[in-house]
Amino acid sequence: MLSSFLDGVNRVKNAPALVLGVWLSTLLLALPLAIVLQQMLGEHLGASLAAQAAADGVNYDWWNEFLAQTSGLGATFVPSIIGFAAVMNNIATVADKPQIPTVIGFVVIAFQVVSLFLAGGILDRLARDRALGAGAFFSACGVYFVRFMRLGVMMAVAYWALFGPYHSWLFDALYPALIADITVERTAFFIRLALYAAFAVPLFAANMLFDYAKIRAVVEDRRSMIGAVAASWRFIRRQPLVVSGLYATNALVFLLVIGLYYLLAPDGRADTLAFAIGQFYIVLRVIVRLLFAASQTALFQGRLAHAGYVARPIAKWPDSPAAEAIGPR
Amino acid sequence: MVADRKRLRRHALKLAALVAAVLHINAPTSARTQPSALQPPAGAEPVTIPAPAAAVSPRTASYDIDVTLDPAARTLTGSELITWQNQGSIAAYSIRLHLYWNAFRNTNSTWLKQLAMAGEMPFANASPDDFGYIDVTKISIVNPDGSDRVDLTNDLRFISPDDQNADDRTLAAATLVDPIQPGQTLQLRITWTGRFPRNFDRTGAIGNYFFVSQWFPKLGVFDQGWTAHQFFANSEFFSDFGTYDVRMTVPKGWIVGATGVEQSRTDSGDQTTHRYTQSDVHDFAWTTSPDFIEKRQQFTLPGRAPVQIRLLIQPEHEYLADRHFAAATASLQYFGQWYGAYPYPTLTIVDPAWQSQSAGMEYPTLFTAGTRWLSPRQSNDPEYVVIHEAAHQFWYGIVANNEVEHAWLDEGISEFSDSRLQWEAFQPNYLVERFFGDFIPWQYRDIPLQRATDTNYMNAYRRAPDRDSISVPTAMLWPGTHQNMSYHKAALMLHTLERMYTWEVLQKALGIFFARSKFKHPTPGDFFTVLDEVTGKDHKWFIDQVYNSSNTFDYSIESLVSEKPVSRGLGGENTKPLRAQEDTAGGTFRTTVVARRLEAGQFPVDVLVTFENGEQAREKWNGQGRWAVFTYDKPVRARSAQIDPERVLLLDTNYTNNSATLEPQSERAATKWSLRWMVWLQDLMMTWAFIV
Repeated sequence: MLSSFLDGVNRVKNAPALVLGVWLSTLLLALPLAIVLQQMLGEHLGASLAAQAAADGVNYDWWNEFLAQTSGLGATFVPSIIGFAAVMNNIATVADKPQIPTVIGFVVIAFQVVSLFLAGGILDRLARDRALGAGAFFSACGVYFVRFMRLGVMMAVAYWALFGPYHSWLFDALYPALIADITVERTAFFIRLALYAAFAVPLFAANMLFDYAKIRAVVEDRRSMIGAVAASWRFIRRQPLVVSGLYATNALVFLLVIGLYYLLAPDGRADTLAFAIGQFYIVLRVIVRLLFAASQTALFQGRLAHAGYVARPIAKWPDSPAAEAIGPR
Repeated sequence: MVADRKRLRRHALKLAALVAAVLHINAPTSARTQPSALQPPAGAEPVTIPAPAAAVSPRTASYDIDVTLDPAARTLTGSELITWQNQGSIAAYSIRLHLYWNAFRNTNSTWLKQLAMAGEMPFANASPDDFGYIDVTKISIVNPDGSDRVDLTNDLRFISPDDQNADDRTLAAATLVDPIQPGQTLQLRITWTGRFPRNFDRTGAIGNYFFVSQWFPKLGVFDQGWTAHQFFANSEFFSDFGTYDVRMTVPKGWIVGATGVEQSRTDSGDQTTHRYTQSDVHDFAWTTSPDFIEKRQQFTLPGRAPVQIRLLIQPEHEYLADRHFAAATASLQYFGQWYGAYPYPTLTIVDPAWQSQSAGMEYPTLFTAGTRWLSPRQSNDPEYVVIHEAAHQFWYGIVANNEVEHAWLDEGISEFSDSRLQWEAFQPNYLVERFFGDFIPWQYRDIPLQRATDTNYMNAYRRAPDRDSISVPTAMLWPGTHQNMSYHKAALMLHTLERMYTWEVLQKALGIFFARSKFKHPTPGDFFTVLDEVTGKDHKWFIDQVYNSSNTFDYSIESLVSEKPVSRGLGGENTKPLRAQEDTAGGTFRTTVVARRLEAGQFPVDVLVTFENGEQAREKWNGQGRWAVFTYDKPVRARSAQIDPERVLLLDTNYTNNSATLEPQSERAATKWSLRWMVWLQDLMMTWAFIV
């Protein structure tokens, strides 16, 4: 397990373009909305003297005034975007499933679609552990995207069940019933913590199942996504401790990264440095995400005794039919 | 023998008070870190301090009550002897009796109907067991020798003078065969049973925590007729002063906290009867639970009688006991100096059980605070609620205006006082938000809470400033606007007055109002009369604009232009040609400021124009017109213009547009914050990316 993890670290280290690409995709998806927000904030501040305080620090009074007069995208501009509060808030969106504004929901889903598109290329690159070139990378992305869209249907059903009925049952029905007569807040918190665990276990299990399904689809060039899921299940079932141990190790790295950000995250007074540190943190998050994929791929390849094997030939951009007609056969 | 012991004890207490006065607690500067000294050793008997003998209030309605709690059944069984003197100017031909717990009897009560109008339906999924009630089993007029004279039980009827809701049973009336003339006394004996609603607003039970308020049949207030309203969700309370002697029987070993001073405890089998008495109060509340941790501290101030502060705190909040005491001590000291002395020997702070819904409520000499298991340092929890409720001891408790009709006079002043005291003695406080089921706090160390805006709850006010006006009788306020009007707008109004006249002037006005009105049920008019007297000004315009009106205030600088003047067109004589001409004489810049009133609210404001050389021009604008233009010819450009630069008018809902500068920083600010926001969005995307 540890060797797979270290192998994964090396594979990510050898693929800086992947890190750059995923980071850029977060940036490019977020930037248009950031520009819209920038215009909204600028218009609200106008030529006022309040802008000076907002530029130099946190002008909380102006902030509240803006929030009282805005809606939609503007309503997401809340204090919990500052520093580490953003991390708390965002993890809480998974744990507590609060209402996410529609426009933000679209961006999150768009990024998931992009991630699904890139997944084939990323896994192909990580499985081969050598540079392939942009053409082959995007070719792999294209080849697997259709398959992963089919897998995505299964994922959507599973995650819908988890975040929908199961989450509601846990936190909207069971939790209120469990704490109805509790008079000690600490006790209620620990009950909630237990329910978070009850939610996390199947969530992480589903996550591992679909991760290995994608890996098997790429490494073994599987066409059937139902078959890939079944194969993933067989793989996990054969070595549950190793698979979950590796997952936990990666999760630990995730915790270390957010712990580091906890120490470094600048408050609302910082300006350019805050943005730079924020982007550094996002890059680390991208690395962690790739580390999950790389180490799981390494584990799968190692455990199936054909390390480095990738069934599918390297994909290349096809030449045009005309070029093919005159080219060597 | 017993009398001698009591006398000896009194002397000992006086001596202790004298020593304590010399070593008096000086809270404010070290308020946060004050140790919880003067606690009796574990198992010590409660300190008994005799109630003041001389009446400081009219003592119109006194109650002698015996009550037994059955925790398993969640019921109270009680009997009371009410001694009521008609201090009105006409004869009373009937009585009015509040039966507050019937608000929780069913969803047809006026209380719950009003909540439903505000979109709240707390009993929507309740079982029958969750509802509460109070039933009078017998009511009779009593002879001086204690025997029944007239049985009124069958005559007692529910009335609903405010909304004609036939289903409401929170107010009852009975006709008196013999009218009670002014100066005459009536004695009523009432027996009743009551069932606690399940952990509901202000009163109720959860687990083995019982908070018992508005729990006994209680007379209305009589002057030229009865002032007695049904129980509204918006309303608070109004009743006459008197003496309370209450004996509460609870399971043995349970801790009791109550209005007044504990006089005795008597064990009987597995039950204990706690006797509390207090004079010159207008209500009585109590609590009991086996889980409280009891702590005590004595507050002393030279020239003032000591106050025994008793804290009944939940075990998980014990680490916050010092902060409770510090806030209570500072309140007694500051409010004692600002308004007048706290006249009672005890103050009991009840830290309510989690989910009890009884936090933050005031009763005579007792209030509920309310805090969290995890409460960061330099947040205003629990200080905010402790100071607010301690302020009520002066306004609700001692001044005691009619809160059903003018709750703002108590709530607004208490909110204002709370905010002011936090600012004086408990700085800094930082914004706290909670995540993960509202449990885990996160403190923003870059967002210190400001008095003018944050602890006056400006943000809540500005979201609905015009839904109602403060002057509307509180019970009749649109459901859901009570807080905004009675608390927030009223506090902002008072803070605006402070900024108009300085704190010294407003403090003097509040102090005089307190001194004149204590124990007298004043009206808002009494307050404004004192304000006129102290300031020497007529506040009719202020009352019309701020108090009586629901108008919103919003002044703005519409434009600021500062450039060399350009003249075009014909000159004075037709011989001069048509031309554009820049007036460069002396290098003068013409600065034009357009100020606007964007909303209906009118208020006199200053306009301040600052020039590049630091020179400033200040104009007085009565704020009545929709716009005003100010023009200056100066050798330098203007740098900025501000309307209401000192922010006197705290009710201006949009202060950002109160200023304009020719060197705007909005782009820099907007870029900075949009980039910070972008990092949040990227993190959100990465957080959810783990599932694909």
